[in-house]
Amino acid sequence: MELVQYFLIKDENKLPVRRADIVKNVLKEYKNVFQEIMKRTSHTFEKVYGFKVVEIDAKNHIYILINQLKPAEGAPERISNPNTGLLLVILSVVFMKGGVVREASVWNTLKMMQVDPRENHRVFGDVKKLVTDDFVRQRYLEYTKIPHTEPLEHEFRWGQRAEVEVSKLDMLEFLGQLHGKDPQHWSQQYKEATNQASPGSSQPGSSQPGSSQPGSSQPGSSQR
Amino acid sequence: MKRTGNRNSDQDALQQNGTSDGSGGHEADADAWHVDSQSVSHRKLLRARYRELISTVQQNREEMLSPCDNKLTEVLDKANMLFKEVHEARETVLDSQLLVVASGLGKEKANRMVSQGLSFDLSTFAQHALSFMGLNRLADEGSDAEDGAATNGFLPQDAWHRLASRAESCFQSTPSFHSMYGLFQSEPPPLKPRIERQRKVPTVEAKRIMPTELKKMEESNQEATEKEVERILGYLRQYHRQDPTTPISYYEFILNPDSFSRTVENIFHTSFLIRDGLARMYLDDDMLPCIGPVEEDGAQPAEATTRKQCVISINQKSWRELRDAFDITQPMIHPPNGPDE
Repeated sequence: MELVQYFLIKDENKLPVRRADIVKNVLKEYKNVFQEIMKRTSHTFEKVYGFKVVEIDAKNHIYILINQLKPAEGAPERISNPNTGLLLVILSVVFMKGGVVREASVWNTLKMMQVDPRENHRVFGDVKKLVTDDFVRQRYLEYTKIPHTEPLEHEFRWGQRAEVEVSKLDMLEFLGQLHGKDPQHWSQQYKEATNQASPGSSQPGSSQPGSSQPGSSQPGSSQR
Repeated sequence: MKRTGNRNSDQDALQQNGTSDGSGGHEADADAWHVDSQSVSHRKLLRARYRELISTVQQNREEMLSPCDNKLTEVLDKANMLFKEVHEARETVLDSQLLVVASGLGKEKANRMVSQGLSFDLSTFAQHALSFMGLNRLADEGSDAEDGAATNGFLPQDAWHRLASRAESCFQSTPSFHSMYGLFQSEPPPLKPRIERQRKVPTVEAKRIMPTELKKMEESNQEATEKEVERILGYLRQYHRQDPTTPISYYEFILNPDSFSRTVENIFHTSFLIRDGLARMYLDDDMLPCIGPVEEDGAQPAEATTRKQCVISINQKSWRELRDAFDITQPMIHPPNGPDE
């Protein structure tokens, strides 16, 4: 069906799909039956491709595709996209630092890994654009201004797609592997990771970036 | 008491056109005036203090964010004190400004405080990630570079790919779908690729048929031309051998009294000979063009590097005139017997 193809093509660049665009470009005269068509499209995706259509923004009606299937055991190695590695680093930094970080923390970490936003990178090219523009448009990251800062600074958060596509638990496991520690070592994050709505559930409201999360077990001292 | 006092001061105020420098404070209620005049400069002072507090928060932001710093509390205490004396709108505005700035800072402090407890060090993380990616740490070269990032080692080409493969298991992203024929920006994207695919097939086939046909034709053409050229060269040499001393008149050579088109062909073929350096043209004493074969090697090649060009044209009228002028009855180049083009 056309909508299936439309989704697949938009997905190639990992750009989210808006309902308004769907109606305008694909459905046209059929816009009254949007719900029905959407239902059938989702069904096709699930049965044929093993994908899931997820609404990551309930207010603006924005959708993405995610994969329900894990790669099979012994499947041939796919050529991986290095951007995934970069993204993982940034998402880790944000997650482990409570869900929001000032951009300086991200840039500093990347610089330690020989990725400098001021320079053109051998693999990533224009790093600053990739991180603050491309990843944001793909909804992997959020990059927002901090008011009253001079000079202007921004902060990073997990984007709506990341909330749905990335498993915090898997990430913690990876970090544990890197550091030679048990994932439960980071109790705060571990708790949050286990509470995360299972990736792929279409509940946009539940996945709030973790900034306000760690309210559960606040260390008792309060200086304010 | 108070009421009359106030009425008096109002009257005085009216009399003095509302000036508030308090100079004429005679029978007026001294208190009312005093408060008034005090507040002007007093208000200025208040505002100045507020601004001071605001700039304190803004300028010392980094410092005040540190969890061991209590300046923010001090600022707020001072603000509370100031607020007791605030009566007018202007000061209230400043007070709210200060609160906005201070609360922003406060929120951030709270965030940071939470993060402190999460014990995740970024540089340690970076180092571990680098190791995972296969960093080859340089043996200490005695350089203590300020910018540790640049000199801390050598990452292999596929460093980021390695990280990405491991990372992918954390993502539930769909594999990228690449259309083989690329994307088109205009209207329904799903339709265009279909159309393109259909069209592509016939053209590819058609092209395949063409080359084989063309090849055949071209060969026949080329062969014919070459053969002709060689044949004419043969004639040229033959005539020259017969009488080496007499130059061969060009027009006599190429002209065919029976056929204009053959004449033109002869001109065409002889031009190849000249181009290839096998024949040469020159003007004789009567300024008539002559043609002769070129002797092998020797000085000839050296001369040939300077290219000279000459264009010869002929039409039917001149052909007839030439024929009559030179009185040519027999062609020097016999027409070929080959297949008609």
